[in-house]
Amino acid sequence: MKLLRKLPPEARLLLPAFVVILLVVAVPLLFSLYTSFTSYRLVRPETIWNVVWFKNYLKLFGNSDFWWAFGRTVLFLTVVLNLEMLFGLALALLVNQVTRGQRMLRTIMMFPMMFSPVLVGFQFKFMFNDNIGIVNHILQNWFGVTEAIPWLVESHLAFFSLACAEIWNSTAVFAILLLAGLMAMPQDPLEAARVDGCTPLQAFRHVTLPFLMPFVYIAMTIRSLDVGRAFDIVKIMTNGGPAGRTELIWTLSARAGYEDARMGYANAMSYVAVLLSIAFTVHFFRKLNASRQFLNEVDA
Amino acid sequence: MKNQPFVASLTLLSTLAATLVMPTAWAGPYDGYTLRVKLIGGEQYEPLYSVIPEWEKKTGAKVQIVSSKSHFELDRELKQDIASGKIDYCLFSNHTNFAAQYVTITRDLKPLVPADFVSKFSPRVIQQSTIKGKLLEIPRHSDISELYYNKKAYDDPANKAAYKAKFGKDLAPPQTWDDVAQQAKFFAKPPNFYGTQFAGKDEAITGRFYEMLVANGGQLFDKNFKPTFNSPAGVKSLNWFVDLYKSGAVPKGAPNYVWDDLGNGFASGTVALDLDWGGWASFFNDPKSSKVAGNVGIIRAPKGSSGKRTGWSGSHSFSITQSCDNPKAAADFLMFITGFDAQMLEARRGLMPTRLDAQQAALAEFKAKNETYLTDVFNTFAAGMREDSFTPPLIPEWVEVSNSIWPELQKAIVGDKTSKQALDDAAKKVEALMDDAGYYK
Repeated sequence: MKLLRKLPPEARLLLPAFVVILLVVAVPLLFSLYTSFTSYRLVRPETIWNVVWFKNYLKLFGNSDFWWAFGRTVLFLTVVLNLEMLFGLALALLVNQVTRGQRMLRTIMMFPMMFSPVLVGFQFKFMFNDNIGIVNHILQNWFGVTEAIPWLVESHLAFFSLACAEIWNSTAVFAILLLAGLMAMPQDPLEAARVDGCTPLQAFRHVTLPFLMPFVYIAMTIRSLDVGRAFDIVKIMTNGGPAGRTELIWTLSARAGYEDARMGYANAMSYVAVLLSIAFTVHFFRKLNASRQFLNEVDA
Repeated sequence: MKNQPFVASLTLLSTLAATLVMPTAWAGPYDGYTLRVKLIGGEQYEPLYSVIPEWEKKTGAKVQIVSSKSHFELDRELKQDIASGKIDYCLFSNHTNFAAQYVTITRDLKPLVPADFVSKFSPRVIQQSTIKGKLLEIPRHSDISELYYNKKAYDDPANKAAYKAKFGKDLAPPQTWDDVAQQAKFFAKPPNFYGTQFAGKDEAITGRFYEMLVANGGQLFDKNFKPTFNSPAGVKSLNWFVDLYKSGAVPKGAPNYVWDDLGNGFASGTVALDLDWGGWASFFNDPKSSKVAGNVGIIRAPKGSSGKRTGWSGSHSFSITQSCDNPKAAADFLMFITGFDAQMLEARRGLMPTRLDAQQAALAEFKAKNETYLTDVFNTFAAGMREDSFTPPLIPEWVEVSNSIWPELQKAIVGDKTSKQALDDAAKKVEALMDDAGYYK
């Protein structure tokens, strides 16, 4: 208590927050970092003390399956986030035009977000089933396709199917955030642009979009951290297969950690995934700062 | 009459004694005790738990279900419990094929469960529940796959004539896996109809490959746990899947199929032959869920080149934890939910009981009700469990071994590697992991 009294008042006020963050965030992070240097197996708790230093990381970096999964994860993140942003922007612009029933539309737009990714995975798995799925059924009966398209087997199609499920589930996040941006946008610059003779496309390109960019990057940052939820979808739809064609870092590390019980190795993999997320987040933060600076300069 | 005061005193005393004694006489042997359990959840498994209140009434104990999850979620949770050392429950749902992973938390049941109770069960299943001499689980019901076939395809006169003309023999349900391949290719008319199908991912394809390997005279490991599945028998077994996939006799999506895809596929009426689990029998013959209802045939799993039938199997079971604070109560509960009445309840829902008396009684019931389909199903599955069933190696590394094998099997099936190359690569991975686990020291 004496020690506490010696602290300045602002430090005493901040202390509880630091303690909570330390317990909830830092300790588990440091613990998992430590286990990534051990041969820790869930079903053999005593192995937590068996330090193997960089063995897990060296094994990981020498594993071509891991590098393929890493590359595929970067590609998946890039494609999915950009498409979600485009679709979300389109949805937000459309809903923003609606004057009656906008509240109802906003609620409907959020429906996909309310489904758990596990459920979405099962839905899309059955939709894309080559034999009894509705997608092939429609193609064969309405569009004269004569063969069963193996949506979840051929590597590009499987990637496309997974992306569809993920985009359907999460585009609403972008749409809601961008709609909030559109609703907060001052109308004066747009009216001024119209008076100056700008076409709607020019007004969108030079006025609306720059204003929305900070919202886009905030949404991108949130989604780049949150996109790991796609694990459930991939797990249910393909479990990384067939033949590793849709393997992502998340499916690989979850299999190593929980099914194989090799938690030390899985945590090493997770730390690489964390670095990847940090890289994406830093990139989007830089873009966010640049776009805000641009807006400030315009205001000035 | 002079005895009247004595009689009155005696009556009073008896009444008093009865008042004092009765509450304890009514209470069960575990009155006030709460038995904490983790049970497998899901439509197939939960009806059994409806008998729990009966046990609670009988014993005075309460059963607290602290977790009810699918098998794979429960497996994950049990591993986390082992890691954290927090085993604060007495009984959990187990499975013969995965029990070796939980050996450290599981109690030997031999001192708790009387031998005459154990003797009621199929000896083969009890053997599969025993690891290093310890009886780690009491099996609840068993799973083995047998061959379902679409009778419409076999009874069709045009099919019969065409098959006779092409192969010079009558079209009849297949007895060997070579026959299955031949008939599957004969029936296939993709994308509308397929000869057969197989599970193509996860432990499902490892299991299917494993049983084919055994039926063809191979084994996964030698006696020193060195992988031997890349033998000629292994290549022949994997080629069976590769050949059917390449020929279009199975759906193109098969490498991504697991049990629900297979069950729904056969029920859709677009598949002639389906090696599948007993639990699907009622679903296939129910007009509400199946287009082949009334036309489902069932035979024993075909034979491989060694003359053995495929028979990868396993049993859902219950185990008691080492840390259980009242093992007697837990054992009593375990015997109650694996007792005759409990097994009959599951048998009537189409699950294969592990007790021989329940198997016979269920069969007699089906015969008495003239339920020929269920009688056929029960006879076929009982014979399979009795004569053909085998589990994967009962080692803690089984899941990890399977996870090293199945992606390589898929690579061969979709044509990324030859069968030999895929099996050699899988064998290298398995050897490395077994070495890591200390098998070669």
